[in-house]
Amino acid sequence: MSAIKIALVLAVALLALVSVAEAGVSFKSLNETLTVQAQIHDRATNMTFFTGLAHVGTDDMVISWALNSSFAGKDARYVNVKIRLCYAPVSQTDRGWRKTKDDLEKDKTCSKGITQQKYVPTGNTTIWRITKDVPGAVYFVRVYAVDALGTELAFGQTTDKAKTINLMEIVPISGRHVSIDIAAAVFSVFSVGSLMGFLGLEAIKQRKANSKAGHFFREAFIDTIRGQSVLREVKII
Amino acid sequence: MAPQGENRTDADLTGEPGSSLHGVTGHEVFPYINMDTVPEEATDLKGRKFSLPVDSEHKAKKLKIYSFARPHMLTFHLSWISFMTCFFSTFAAPPLLPIIRDNLGLTKTNIAHAGVASVSGSIISRLLMGTICDLFGPRYGCAILIMATAPAVFCMSIVSTVDGFILVRFFISFALATFVSCQFWMSSMFNGQIVGLANGLAAGWGNAGGGITQLVMPLVYDLIAKNIGADNFTAWRLAFFLPGCMHIVMGLIVLAIGQDLPDGNYSSLKRSGDKVTDTFFKVLQYGVTNYRTWIFTITYGYCLGVELTVDNIIAQYFYDRFDINLTIAGTIGSTVGLMNIISRPAGGMISDMAARRFGMRGRLWALWTLQTIGGVLCIGLGLLGSLGPSVVVLVIFSIFMEAACGATFGIIPFISRRSLGVISGAVGAGGNVGSILTQVLFFSNQSYSMEKGIMLMGVMAIACTAVLFLVYFPQWGGMLCPPSKATEEDYYGGEWNEAERAKNLHRNSLKFAENSRSERGPSRQEQTSDSAPTTRV
Repeated sequence: MSAIKIALVLAVALLALVSVAEAGVSFKSLNETLTVQAQIHDRATNMTFFTGLAHVGTDDMVISWALNSSFAGKDARYVNVKIRLCYAPVSQTDRGWRKTKDDLEKDKTCSKGITQQKYVPTGNTTIWRITKDVPGAVYFVRVYAVDALGTELAFGQTTDKAKTINLMEIVPISGRHVSIDIAAAVFSVFSVGSLMGFLGLEAIKQRKANSKAGHFFREAFIDTIRGQSVLREVKII
Repeated sequence: MAPQGENRTDADLTGEPGSSLHGVTGHEVFPYINMDTVPEEATDLKGRKFSLPVDSEHKAKKLKIYSFARPHMLTFHLSWISFMTCFFSTFAAPPLLPIIRDNLGLTKTNIAHAGVASVSGSIISRLLMGTICDLFGPRYGCAILIMATAPAVFCMSIVSTVDGFILVRFFISFALATFVSCQFWMSSMFNGQIVGLANGLAAGWGNAGGGITQLVMPLVYDLIAKNIGADNFTAWRLAFFLPGCMHIVMGLIVLAIGQDLPDGNYSSLKRSGDKVTDTFFKVLQYGVTNYRTWIFTITYGYCLGVELTVDNIIAQYFYDRFDINLTIAGTIGSTVGLMNIISRPAGGMISDMAARRFGMRGRLWALWTLQTIGGVLCIGLGLLGSLGPSVVVLVIFSIFMEAACGATFGIIPFISRRSLGVISGAVGAGGNVGSILTQVLFFSNQSYSMEKGIMLMGVMAIACTAVLFLVYFPQWGGMLCPPSKATEEDYYGGEWNEAERAKNLHRNSLKFAENSRSERGPSRQEQTSDSAPTTRV
């Protein structure tokens, strides 16, 4: 009985590990009080443009945000801003790990953080060198105004509510290098080659052994001796 | 040499359809176990002493796990380690999928297709491997397969498209056929008394490779990405050189120091002639027309199939649902595969214990119970929403499911004596088919979230396990029905037609029938037949 009791207590204790997760802020409850603009800056040609392709490694993103004048006075509690890179709907289809959810604790739309800045009503600009771990997808930029604890209070984004305009596509690195390609080829050839080599060597050895008739008879002789000794063991002969 | 006549040895049966799996059962007292004691100073053909007690075929009668002595224990270790390597590389991609999917732009459908591909290749290769082992020996079979799939593993480092990823996972999965060479090799080296245990341990420890990879690959990736400082999308590619090199190393070791039989290699030993191939169709016919083959194909599909599916999806599931980092997700995922180390052999032992008390009916009930509890826990896993309980349920679920896999192979050897090889191959392939079906139905659909998919997988496992109620052995009964007056000789002898019986071709089946009387359970053991006692040489 006591074993069952212990088991039950353990089970209850484990189930009590259920973390009481407080639901995060609901996105629908936030007002769009910030205006945000993002541009792609090509370092090589020093040109900037609003939409198009941004290449990881060669391009920067210039993001500027400010408080929308029609919401002046509503920014009393804003302490910082979090600037995040968010997936556009076209990059979210059939990818549950990028799903948009209203509960911001569970929302995965804006999983890539760009930076955090102090809040000032006149706004600020940041230049972000697009990091090499950014996947290839279509994005927009969203800025959350947060309080001292990091709870979202308001937001602004570069695109509209339907997330269809001002989208930027980021072209990622492939991760491949010529050296990796060469190493893979060398190892593969080594694997198949050494296999062939081993099999070939054994075939040659076998042919040499078979050609020696004396070896053949020696084997047969040993077999007979063994056979007789086994039969003697069990008292048949 | 070996006494001719009634007691043919394994060497005589080389090449015969299904011979690659003789001895797997551990119940084949005649003619595969030779009870003759051989003096402790038994030596092989070259005069070297064996370090384990052997029978007159030089197969070991004991299993010393900590020993690496040639040839028996060395074979045991080579065999399970090479099987483990193949599982390692087949399931090396799933723990890194959160990085790979961003690099290649994979969608959920792509990932599901890759998961299906990763268990399909082995269906074909497992069926071919049996023949290769019969003809060329398990050493060549294992080494050739493992070194020929190494290029596929290296190709994973250079994929840059979705189709490339799916193709590479398909080709790597060919390596899972080392299961067949592993089991065959064990049967050649170990006496029937312990071959069941040896096979169970080797299969379980090999399957654990699917768990080890989920632990090791994220660690290797972290090492390369953080300590060496490579980009994410390069680091995962470099991490794949580890399984690739493991393939090459194991292949070379097997070729260099492995040997097919206790006395040496196939090529240097005389073999007693090629076997008839015109009975291949007969063997196939009796395997295919036995309805129990298909029942166990279905149940194994939802036993091993569930385990393979979980190997593929679990790290991603924990990473996405609970927002933990990649290494921790991989560690949690690895517990599934690692449980195999004890649970698969334990399942076999539970089946054997049930048989001692209740005979074959006990085995069937044990299997049904283990697999149904596994299914219930799978449903629970899908329904739980928090991390701690999910991990606990995952561990217990994997123990039960893998024990069910072990218990299945406690029953398979008794379905047929003539077609054992075909049936084992079909059931093994069924495991992969079950995994394919599950991944296609529940994990490639946009409408099912992953937790719903897991829950539905559990429901389907319970439903498919229920077909076990349809299994009925006339001589032993079924789960619900008691046995009839039929005998084991009727059942196993019935696989041979009149003409074959007239030629006494069914004598091995009759001997097996006599030894399978233990499946009646203790209450009916007194009803042994009154036929003349069999003589033993």
